[in-house]
Amino acid sequence: MLHIERLKADIDTLSRLAVERQTQREDDVARALRWLAEAPDSTTLRERLAPVATGEHDWPGALPAVDVPLDARFTVRSDPPHGTVVIGVDGSQVYPDPHAAALYYLIQIGGLVFGYDGSRPRPYSCEALHFRDEELYDAQGYLISPERVGMERLVQEMAYLAELTAIEHRLAPAAPLLALTDGPLLWPYVERSRVDSQAVDAYLDALTEIQKTGGLPVGYVARPGGRALVELLWASRLAPEDIPGRLPENPLRQLPDAALMAHFLAPGERSAWFSRPSSTNRRHAGRGHEVWFCYVNVGAARMPVIARVEAPEWGAPNEDAITTLHAVLLHQSQVLNGYPYVLARAHEEALVTTADKAALDSEIQRHLFAQGILARPSEKAQQKAYLGKR
Amino acid sequence: MADSDRTITIGNVLRADIRGFVVASRIPEPDVPTFGTFVRAAIQQERADLIGLVYNITLQDDPFLKNLAVTVIEDDPRYAEIIRDQQENRAVPVEIAVAAIGYRDEDNHYHYGLPPQPPMILHRITVCSKDEVRHITAAPDFMRALFDNRDVPADELIPTALQRAARLRPESSRGEFFLEAGRYLAHYLGRDPVRLERILRRLA
Repeated sequence: MLHIERLKADIDTLSRLAVERQTQREDDVARALRWLAEAPDSTTLRERLAPVATGEHDWPGALPAVDVPLDARFTVRSDPPHGTVVIGVDGSQVYPDPHAAALYYLIQIGGLVFGYDGSRPRPYSCEALHFRDEELYDAQGYLISPERVGMERLVQEMAYLAELTAIEHRLAPAAPLLALTDGPLLWPYVERSRVDSQAVDAYLDALTEIQKTGGLPVGYVARPGGRALVELLWASRLAPEDIPGRLPENPLRQLPDAALMAHFLAPGERSAWFSRPSSTNRRHAGRGHEVWFCYVNVGAARMPVIARVEAPEWGAPNEDAITTLHAVLLHQSQVLNGYPYVLARAHEEALVTTADKAALDSEIQRHLFAQGILARPSEKAQQKAYLGKR
Repeated sequence: MADSDRTITIGNVLRADIRGFVVASRIPEPDVPTFGTFVRAAIQQERADLIGLVYNITLQDDPFLKNLAVTVIEDDPRYAEIIRDQQENRAVPVEIAVAAIGYRDEDNHYHYGLPPQPPMILHRITVCSKDEVRHITAAPDFMRALFDNRDVPADELIPTALQRAARLRPESSRGEFFLEAGRYLAHYLGRDPVRLERILRRLA
């Protein structure tokens, strides 16, 4: 039981700090907006930041990806073109539980194919149960970590997206094909081992498959964190000789890009494209899939909803494709008050509910029992389950 | 639904007693069983199947739909695909209540009345095939368990089930099927002529 009355003083402090932070943020946003308006042109900035553009400095900032002013804003006036096909994919997982009756983990991927032609959208899903020793334990004999399951899920999501893209391309070879995934397109994990590297390779293979079948892979990051653009703005204030030396001194490092964009982008607008000079992005670039990103406001007046949109360098400069993507994201998000419908439905198709998991566990236990094996959750798990129902 | 010969798994048992059970399900609207559908669920460690009739369907609250309801306009072509997705694809969260009418044992014999055991929680239930419906309704005794089940709208459910079962028989034998059912009802409800008339009128 939680004694909320004992936390009253902490809750008061939390609220007071939130107000202070809000006031500070308003000042920071005003400053960042001024920096954005006064920033040098993209070519100058890229030249100035050449020392950190190789990715060796681990600088968390962004580079301008195209030759437009940093404060460029783009709008679309029309609905998505007739015939455009949008594929959304998302995944969910059940992590292995040593206290469960049987040790396994599960990955389920869901997808929705949404054609702008009046047709019925097509839901898809696939699932895989992993229970063999070589799947559950690593080389040192440790149980697979949640991060490792996350990597596998990501690889399976992108592979499934590639599979659906290929199917849709066969059905409508001339249709604009947008392949959306919920989350970043840039591989989000650190490569620490050979197994990790294999996962990254498989992920990049899937991106190549999508490219081959004429699809544009897009990562959609709702409520994005990160301050890559704010770091770039700080760099734009520095003299060339202060780079990289004074880059870590950014006074606005508490300001996330999304907070800045919420004031900068009007509803429906998107920003210019940027890229990150990170080692992961160089890894992507090595396979021809450097990732660019921009911000888009899919919210309404006085209710900004900022998303980060990530696309590969080979697709992001394609004006027709990006105008279509922009129109699609606005239409899809308007329906659900700021989140693309196709991704919400993909999530629904992918979701493994508590009831689903309970049914799966029950089915496994029954099959084990039929084989003469009495498998039960641990006493601890059973007690937690009883208490959790209160 | 029950007129189709495909069998569809429609959900998991949520709670159960000897007279029936409730199933929680998320299935597309076209697959939601209708009132009077014959369904079955495994009992006794899958050695037998309880047979029952759907007598209530409750649509549960769906926050996803609440969001859409304020933005989507039915006749606007900009939302055509979304409306089709919601109506034709999307899993609708429903609770389906089933009244037991009999069971099938491991030798494939059908027995009427209450089953020896309710289905266990989280077991799946499935819509009966045409053949299974024909077998369980071969004798009018399948109605017996419904007469005394006060939770069930039996006077509506019995005519619906009879009509559903009759449609699965050759036209030439339907008259005899209804006649036999009518005799059974008259025998069973002889002391309650008002109720008997109500059921027979719904059959007409």
